[in-house]
Amino acid sequence: MTDTVAMAQVGTAAPRRRRLSARQGRWLSTCGGLIVVLVILAIIAVHLWPGFDAFTQDLAHARLGPFVDPKHPLGTDVVGRDLLSRVAAGGQTTLLITAAIVLVNFVVGTVLGLLAGFFGGWADNVIALVTDVSLALPAVLLLIALSAIFGPSALLMILVLGFTHWMSFARLARATALSLRSRDFVMAPRMLGASSARIIRTHILPHVLPQMFIVAVTSIGSVILLQAGLDYLGLGIQPPDPTWGGLVLEGQKYMRLSPWQVILPGLAIFLVVGGTTFFSQRFTAESTQPLRKVR
Amino acid sequence: MSAEMIRKAPLLEVNGLVVTTTGPDGETVRLIDDVSFTVDDGEVVGIVGESGSGKSLTMLAVMGLLPYGLEVAAGSILWRGKDIVGLREQQLREIRGRDIGMIFQDPMTALNPLRRIGSQLAEAIRLHQRVPRRVARARVHDLLDTVGVKDAAKRARAYPHEWSGGMRQRAVIAMAMANDPALLIADEPTTALDVTVQAQVMRTLEKARAELSSALILITHDLGLAAQNASRMLIMYSGRIVESGSTRDIFLSPTHPYTQGLLKSRLAERDERAYAIPGNPPSPRLRPSGCAFAPRCELSRGRSVCVDARPRLELRANGSCSACHFAQELGAPVAPVGSEA
Repeated sequence: MTDTVAMAQVGTAAPRRRRLSARQGRWLSTCGGLIVVLVILAIIAVHLWPGFDAFTQDLAHARLGPFVDPKHPLGTDVVGRDLLSRVAAGGQTTLLITAAIVLVNFVVGTVLGLLAGFFGGWADNVIALVTDVSLALPAVLLLIALSAIFGPSALLMILVLGFTHWMSFARLARATALSLRSRDFVMAPRMLGASSARIIRTHILPHVLPQMFIVAVTSIGSVILLQAGLDYLGLGIQPPDPTWGGLVLEGQKYMRLSPWQVILPGLAIFLVVGGTTFFSQRFTAESTQPLRKVR
Repeated sequence: MSAEMIRKAPLLEVNGLVVTTTGPDGETVRLIDDVSFTVDDGEVVGIVGESGSGKSLTMLAVMGLLPYGLEVAAGSILWRGKDIVGLREQQLREIRGRDIGMIFQDPMTALNPLRRIGSQLAEAIRLHQRVPRRVARARVHDLLDTVGVKDAAKRARAYPHEWSGGMRQRAVIAMAMANDPALLIADEPTTALDVTVQAQVMRTLEKARAELSSALILITHDLGLAAQNASRMLIMYSGRIVESGSTRDIFLSPTHPYTQGLLKSRLAERDERAYAIPGNPPSPRLRPSGCAFAPRCELSRGRSVCVDARPRLELRANGSCSACHFAQELGAPVAPVGSEA
């Protein structure tokens, strides 16, 4: 341990920008993960809280500030709905949709990447074309167009974001499959009469999955941000159902009267995005560390 | 037709095989150019040639596993008399592993590093035999026993990195033998091993082969290895067979200048510098229209026929076949007509 740290300092003799040591990086990443876990636990706890109610309006108690009324620990919005409940309920929606989007990205990207990398040839060309088209598609415009036709919904958002942000999964899965394809241990089962499906499943997928999980973790933050942005634009979940982006949009109108209506959901977004970003640093840092020591 | 002529079809018969690919300028490049040979049941055939001569490619064509962009343009590959060129992938899968077992060059890479050796061997068995896991496991232990891995039950649980190179090559041999194939193809089976281990592994291979009484095609660039193990040899050069015959004939009286060059290149005596054939083998794209070996051949100096006409692989008086216009100058006149068995 101490050895690595020492080597890190030797390795970057004249650092222009100070690089985090491995230990500091790991510490930050643990903190990030911890924050995310705490936010999720808090969301669950609020749902179990007896005063949980995200929808009942109570104009007599509208625009209460935080820490004023014990029945509304974080205050109320302009129509008197409990803000703590709304932020927690919004968090649940936002995080579940994020998970769904990342899952769709994960599956679509991994499958297409494996097919392209393993089979090569025309399969690779076709999938490269699909990738280019997907990269060129502006997700927001697509969502606006489809929302106009079908009406905005959670499912639509999951599908649109799910099918427009899988490219980083596909790229890595393709590269890994491509490098494994010509390896003997992948050729060997083929010579033994194994089918391509079987080879991909038992010999290539186990090498690709860990990397896909890393991409998934690193992409969570950006998906939450994108989704919050779309909710803010009114393209996602519709009011009165709360989402973090939607809460910011609602609160914005009353920014001067009750700024906490914007600050609270904004803070929640900040915590989770920051947390996942720091958490994912562990993986990116470890995979991009300059080679310090030849063993 | 005499009785001998209506004999059983050979195990493997390759006729006029041509494998082509498309060159950078869209031209057709013949990587394997008119290769024919047969392998009989239980026979050990060596295929010798330098890198890029098409040894491995011929075998990939036999297994129907040519890389993307390469195709069999002409010729037939008969497995027990049945043409397998152009068979559907599913039918080829039946043949691979069950009828033909393949042994790889590099045991360091031929095993999946993330899976236990025992489970990889069991996979090979269960691909072709519907047996319960327990039976497959017992069979794995037998296999490992056959290839000389002691304490098989315990060692089968190891991962490839826990085994030495020689041990792993034994595992690879066991894998190829998993379904008692009638033909084993060993592609440079000892090249990646230490010299001390090479002999052991070859002994294991030969023992295992004899036990199954399967045929073996030994692909190698090591004439000595081929000579020790094979009863018959094919010498390949630039995608063609230049000489074929019994190992004895080829060693005692080579009838092709390339074979002669190869034999001369071996380290024989002390204090003697190894002979080297001048020049390099041609790229298949720029292969001379006549004899592919002509530019490097001492025998062809100043003879236009070598440049103009491609020599056919013809039976010589000593029983070997040679593709050289001037084989008779090497003491091998064309066999008299009608002597062909």
